[in-house]
Amino acid sequence: MGGAVVALVILVVLPLMSLLLGSVRGEQGLSLDHFAEVLTGRLYVTALKNSLMLGAWTSLFSTIIGLTLAWAVSRTDVPAKPLLQLTATLSYLSPPFLTAIAFTYLFSPNAGILNVLMRDVVGLPWLTFNIFSMPGLVLVTVMHTFPFVYLLAASALQSVDASYEEAAQILGAGKLRTAFAITAPLVAPAVLSGALLGFVNAIALFGSQAIIGLPGRIVTLPTRIYALFDYPPEYGLASALSLVFVLITIVALYLQRAFLARRSYVTLAGKGSRLQLVRLGKMRFVLLGFGVVIFIVSIVAPFSTLIAVSFSKSWGLDFWKGLTFANYKFILFDYDVTRRAILNSLLLATLAATIAVLLGAVIGWIDLRTKIPGRRLLDYFALIPLGLPGIVVAVALIQFWLAMPVALYGTLAILLLAYVGRYIPLGVRAANAALRQIDPSLEESAQILGASWLTTMREVTLPLIRPGLFAGWLLVFVPVIQELSASILLFSSSSITLAVAIYNLYETGYIEPVAALAMINMVIIGAAIWLATKVGGSRILGRGDAAQDAAHGAGT
Amino acid sequence: MAGITIRGLSKRFGARDGELAAVADLELDIKDNQFVTLLGPSGCGKTTTLRLIAGYITPDSGTIEVAGRLLSSPQAVVSPAERGMGMVFQNYAVWPHKTVFENVVFGLRLRKLPSSAARQKVADMLALVNLGGLEGRYPGELSGGQQQRVALARSLVVEPDILLLDEPLSNLDAKLRERMRTELKQLQRRTGITFVYVTHDQAEALALSDQVAVISGGRLQQYGTPFEVYAHPANRMVADFMGLVNLVPGRVRDMKNGVANVELTPDLTLGIAKVDGLSVGERVDVAIRPENIRLATPPEPATETLAKVALAKVTSHVFLGNLSEYEVTLPSGSVLRVQTHPLQQFTVGEPVAFEIDATQCSAFPRIRGERTPE
Repeated sequence: MGGAVVALVILVVLPLMSLLLGSVRGEQGLSLDHFAEVLTGRLYVTALKNSLMLGAWTSLFSTIIGLTLAWAVSRTDVPAKPLLQLTATLSYLSPPFLTAIAFTYLFSPNAGILNVLMRDVVGLPWLTFNIFSMPGLVLVTVMHTFPFVYLLAASALQSVDASYEEAAQILGAGKLRTAFAITAPLVAPAVLSGALLGFVNAIALFGSQAIIGLPGRIVTLPTRIYALFDYPPEYGLASALSLVFVLITIVALYLQRAFLARRSYVTLAGKGSRLQLVRLGKMRFVLLGFGVVIFIVSIVAPFSTLIAVSFSKSWGLDFWKGLTFANYKFILFDYDVTRRAILNSLLLATLAATIAVLLGAVIGWIDLRTKIPGRRLLDYFALIPLGLPGIVVAVALIQFWLAMPVALYGTLAILLLAYVGRYIPLGVRAANAALRQIDPSLEESAQILGASWLTTMREVTLPLIRPGLFAGWLLVFVPVIQELSASILLFSSSSITLAVAIYNLYETGYIEPVAALAMINMVIIGAAIWLATKVGGSRILGRGDAAQDAAHGAGT
Repeated sequence: MAGITIRGLSKRFGARDGELAAVADLELDIKDNQFVTLLGPSGCGKTTTLRLIAGYITPDSGTIEVAGRLLSSPQAVVSPAERGMGMVFQNYAVWPHKTVFENVVFGLRLRKLPSSAARQKVADMLALVNLGGLEGRYPGELSGGQQQRVALARSLVVEPDILLLDEPLSNLDAKLRERMRTELKQLQRRTGITFVYVTHDQAEALALSDQVAVISGGRLQQYGTPFEVYAHPANRMVADFMGLVNLVPGRVRDMKNGVANVELTPDLTLGIAKVDGLSVGERVDVAIRPENIRLATPPEPATETLAKVALAKVTSHVFLGNLSEYEVTLPSGSVLRVQTHPLQQFTVGEPVAFEIDATQCSAFPRIRGERTPE
């Protein structure tokens, strides 16, 4: 138990303290110069503005798409509901920086295949689209964030008791009046909460902001912090900027919690009558069309593009003339960097998931089953990383471990610390949920029969929470295997990871092998998810809680 | 005024195969100004009937008319919003995001009442349901009973001709339930609104109603005053549902002047009136309410002057405070539940004489293969 406390201190508390310290350490003694600089300097203010703008636009479009789909699925007779649900689930699971890369293959201003098609073949240059722009950045980000609104709104719409609406109807209110006076206010907290989760998640995505934003000269907070580590590294400024970043995230998450707490009254009523679906008539095909467009843009287009590119000799309009396995052979066998990256990532994800879940189990057990003073505090500390964007975790770890006598920088160990630190909340939450489901009396009845604490754990507790822990394990494994935001500052050539390798290959212009490596990444994620649904069933995917966890989880 | 006429009403739910008839061929006349209860076990179709009357569901066949106006038929259903009815839901459905005042004033705003008049009406109505002073509270700050009254006030303030109530008391604790019961009854008398009240609680139905419609399996079993359905149940289901009953197997020995002499044991025969459809020699179940059996210490020595007086043995005793419940076993092995005044005491194992008031008993043909309920 003491071990869990020490682990949390090393993983979370000390790095945060050194971040704080680093931000106020000036040339001589303490100073607020770094903060003054990041709050007034043109570069930093622009980054801040861009991040807020990106977050705002993303939230807006996430709400429009997510709410429309949620309403269609929960309240109308729209056909093909499973497809709409699948769209949200897959969009939520697919790594956003891979979507971004796929969209550059289609819409980069000069070589993007659809731009080439429109300009040179069809001859309609005004139908081209430059992905390296704020609209482009919002587009690829929204495809990842609208599921947050969707999941929360759908669950709220389904849990609003039908009698609330029926009561308005019998008093003489028409459908529209009922929707605005009764339903909308009841689900608004959940929708707002989803929009804020989308916001927090959107501004933390280093990958898409680097891939789409940097070529378009749109610098945001994560990419600005990244730039501060170019030689000579500006640790103080990076720390101060990180703290500003954290502040924005925490304010948004705080608002989100406050909104979600108000949602409690949605489920206040007891057993309710079944909902009556709105009959849309012909309109339902319009709605279905909308869903299909989202499905194509968020799933079909990026993935078929990645697949096509990965088998092409040379990506272009006539790519199908030279299909080849050479790209896969290159990244899997010939090029030792990518080979090493794949193995490193598999190793790190396995270790990080195992450690995060075991630590989570101990912390959850202390919180729920003991009366140790300060146990709640332990729980809170374990949740802090939810408010930390990945790149901030990296800045904090660098600050802390550079000051230590142990040479961790550039090793697999510091990456492991970053991953465990980032995803410990998911482990705690999974263990908590699993432990809550077993009544303490089950453990007590083993004890009354004479079992020791260890025997009780081995014979009763662990077997019972194993499925929940395994689900949590995969919940950590999936984001770690695609982690980029923190890795990008922490890797070295020997500790390179899968996501970093993809990013570096992309930056160096290896267009086709990048796609092959991205496919490998997708296959690993797909396998893990397949395993997760086998083991944990639908508990893992498609629930409101999942969106909660993902506030932090999927941000790479 | 606002009587409800239901003709041949049917509604089925579920997939095309294995459909479940929630309401089957229902005929019901609800008169104006009456308190009518739809009573039945859960899943019997009573709530579906209420929701059909409200217009939330379209019937598969049959019609619903109110005051001569056709409201529901398979072809067309007038929307709930245009029926001018009120409804109180089982979970109250008091909107959690609106204050008490906003909840109650909602219907008046829809009716475009000037705001000062609306304010006055809401205040009067809240006073009527004893919620004066709580206008600004949110439902989350109210007790179950108070939410219940908000729901009532919200339905009544628009002065509907018909108020539909779906098990409105089932979520309240016993004491409060009793009080709200009295208040509901008074409210109905005072306002003259037609109440259609759904419940599965027979005591509630007996206490409140002018007429009780007993429903089971989607079908109307009996429609009559509380006394009729209790004392003269139309069939075994009604007898069993309307409170404690002994169903004792017997055989019709003979029939004279519309009275059947039913033999329960060789030395115990009851003369039961109203036995249409029974024939001599038929096996029947006799429904005997526990309070219609009298126990007495057997005379010494036991005389056999009265055929109705028979001997049995006390086999168990439960003291319930306001009454005592005994189980007595007849020589034939049949067990009778008997309720007596608590001061009348017998000892378990003691022989006891008993007398059955045959005028309050009913006999139903036995259904082959059906077990007698105990």
